[in-house]
Amino acid sequence: MVLELKDIYKSFGEKEVLHGVSLSVENGKALGFLGRNGAGKTTTIRILMDVFRANSGEILLDGKKFVPGKHRIGYLPEERGLYPKRKVMDQMIFLGTLRGMKGREAKESAERWLKRLEVDMYADKKLETLSKGNQQKVQLASTLVHDPEIVILDEPFSGLDPVNAQILKDVVNELIAQGKIVIFSSHQMNYVEEFCDYITIIDKGRVTLDGDLKEIKREYGRNRLILAADDVPPAELCQRAQQVLEGLARVFEVKKEFLVLELSEGPDRRKILERLAGSDLQVEMFGRYEPSLNDIFVAKVGEESSDESK
Amino acid sequence: MRKFGIVLKYELKEYLANKGFMAVTIILTVVGILIMFLPRVFDMSDFTGVQVVEKDTSGDTDTVDDGEKDLYLYYDEKGIVDEALLTQMMPGADWQKTESREELVSLVGREGLSESGAGESSALESDGRTPQAGYVITSETSYEYYVYNKSMSDNNTYMFDEVMRQLYRNEYSKERGWDIDEIQAMYQVPITVEEKVLNKNNSENFWYCYILIIAIYIIIVLYGQMIAVSVTNEKSNRAMEVLVTSTHPNSLLFGKVIAGAVGGLLQSGLILGGFLISYKANRDVWGGQLDMFFNVPGDVLIAFALFGIGGYLFYAFLYGAMGALVSKTEDVSKSSSGLMVIILVVYFFALSQLSDIEGPIVKVLSFLPISSYSTMFARIAMGSVALWEVVVSFVILVVSILAVGALGAKIYRMGTLRYGNTVKRKTVLKELRKQK
Repeated sequence: MVLELKDIYKSFGEKEVLHGVSLSVENGKALGFLGRNGAGKTTTIRILMDVFRANSGEILLDGKKFVPGKHRIGYLPEERGLYPKRKVMDQMIFLGTLRGMKGREAKESAERWLKRLEVDMYADKKLETLSKGNQQKVQLASTLVHDPEIVILDEPFSGLDPVNAQILKDVVNELIAQGKIVIFSSHQMNYVEEFCDYITIIDKGRVTLDGDLKEIKREYGRNRLILAADDVPPAELCQRAQQVLEGLARVFEVKKEFLVLELSEGPDRRKILERLAGSDLQVEMFGRYEPSLNDIFVAKVGEESSDESK
Repeated sequence: MRKFGIVLKYELKEYLANKGFMAVTIILTVVGILIMFLPRVFDMSDFTGVQVVEKDTSGDTDTVDDGEKDLYLYYDEKGIVDEALLTQMMPGADWQKTESREELVSLVGREGLSESGAGESSALESDGRTPQAGYVITSETSYEYYVYNKSMSDNNTYMFDEVMRQLYRNEYSKERGWDIDEIQAMYQVPITVEEKVLNKNNSENFWYCYILIIAIYIIIVLYGQMIAVSVTNEKSNRAMEVLVTSTHPNSLLFGKVIAGAVGGLLQSGLILGGFLISYKANRDVWGGQLDMFFNVPGDVLIAFALFGIGGYLFYAFLYGAMGALVSKTEDVSKSSSGLMVIILVVYFFALSQLSDIEGPIVKVLSFLPISSYSTMFARIAMGSVALWEVVVSFVILVVSILAVGALGAKIYRMGTLRYGNTVKRKTVLKELRKQK
């Protein structure tokens, strides 16, 4: 099962907010859908959910027109979406039956999910009486109560402490293992890295980067090395490295623990090693640079911003 | 349809689980029933005209307990008053004469009274009762009236005027040798009237129509506002975002509005039903005094229910749509102000035109969906209306409800995900035109 958004354009009044967004995700995989605030993530998700109509473009599931009403979709909105003054179990049964389940099925499933997320003791409580983290878990339980085929999670980790985050991580991993399509939108890049095989970065309504996360990382790490030396802080090491490696590499970035070097055209790693061995630097760490998703995101979105300001 | 049923059931359950809603319903219903039983417990003969009597177990005749009578004083220096006539004309009063004006004023003014009532030093046999008022008769045609605190409903002077007039007539006739009984009989010759109202008796129908129009107005405004606030709440807590992705907005709005209608019908039905049924059970002890309010004929009640529910649904859909145009509950009144103006204008027009129920204004209003909910049933209750007129008006109302429901659902769908400022009416119209 492959879900695809193709060339989606959307305007509100005179203002165009999505300029041809395309993305694709298949079942058993998770797509990290990333972007800064106001980049167009939620609008894209709402178009996918048929909350908004796109001005042009198409949404396909296995090559056929995607009709959200015909599929079980679990949507966890960024700003929550339950009634604060109503009881947890009542709301879950309501949402389950509204999405096609029978009352008894919905109740059983709600009980199962509340137990799985360790909030079953709050079933008869009003949502507003729960802590933020527990409300978030109830929200996730209500997203999954009807066993959706497609799960869209918008900032699911916000408000969760590390223990609860781990429970949620396990659940998301289970969903992926069960072969569901998972679209995961978050600013917390470490979580995206953990779950997502593919990423799509959107900025100002345009997709600026998408593809297999491993390949993207490899691409971003190509011609880049890391270097750390004993007893030399990265700031000082930066000056020393520029002198030692002049003509072979330049310092691309100074990190807290190490430097990121970018190779000049031509030379290989062996020549750099020889130059370092000949210097007085006590090399502590030397190897291929694998950027974090955060680095890629900042680099990509920053790059776009600076391109526009030029 | 199934999803509509789910929303309806869920929303209705919320109404019934709402402690405030249930408390108001139960309290008002019980209070209504208790009020209707009051004349069985308390003597309300002044109002109902039905004397509360106690069976005298020692004899065969019914007697009024003198101890329950109010005490009145009078000072009659010239011996004008006939106490027998006083007792006859004011049977609810127990009369006692004082020796002087000063004594009367002092007793009525409660000077030197013990806590239990009459002055300990007074020669009067007052059984511990406090005098309600006192009369000082100064001449055949004048007297002074003394009362400690004059109540809103004090009509003692009116009754005493009648006593004085009768005394004067008696004396006048006696001086001239006329037979007062003959004159009285001539003046009060009984006239037999056989009234046959061939259609509607508006002297009876006016007040219950008035009350029912006020009732339906309150229901529309109260529940309409509740629906608007509930929609805005869903929008502000983002529940809407999950709901509109789970089902069609028509199911959501129709379910919510109809749940409100059922809730309102249940609440007002219980309260009104409590009044009507308990009044029917106690009509004899009320002496039919409240017929004008509560003796509503069945056909008028059915018309009230049908047109009332129709009018409620018509406005409730619009209220739902108005609620979707704002993001904060405090802005609901701003967005629904236009609707409120229409409802108020219709309300005042309907009430002001009740006295001219056959007039052209009421006829026109009784066909318009914005006003037929009150004017058509008023016409049924008070005027002459053909069956075809009722049917046409009801069909117009039903079609308008469906149209407004569909329009409301579109506005609701459009407004629900527009956060921030109130969505302007111009924008709404523009968007609706686009959707066509």
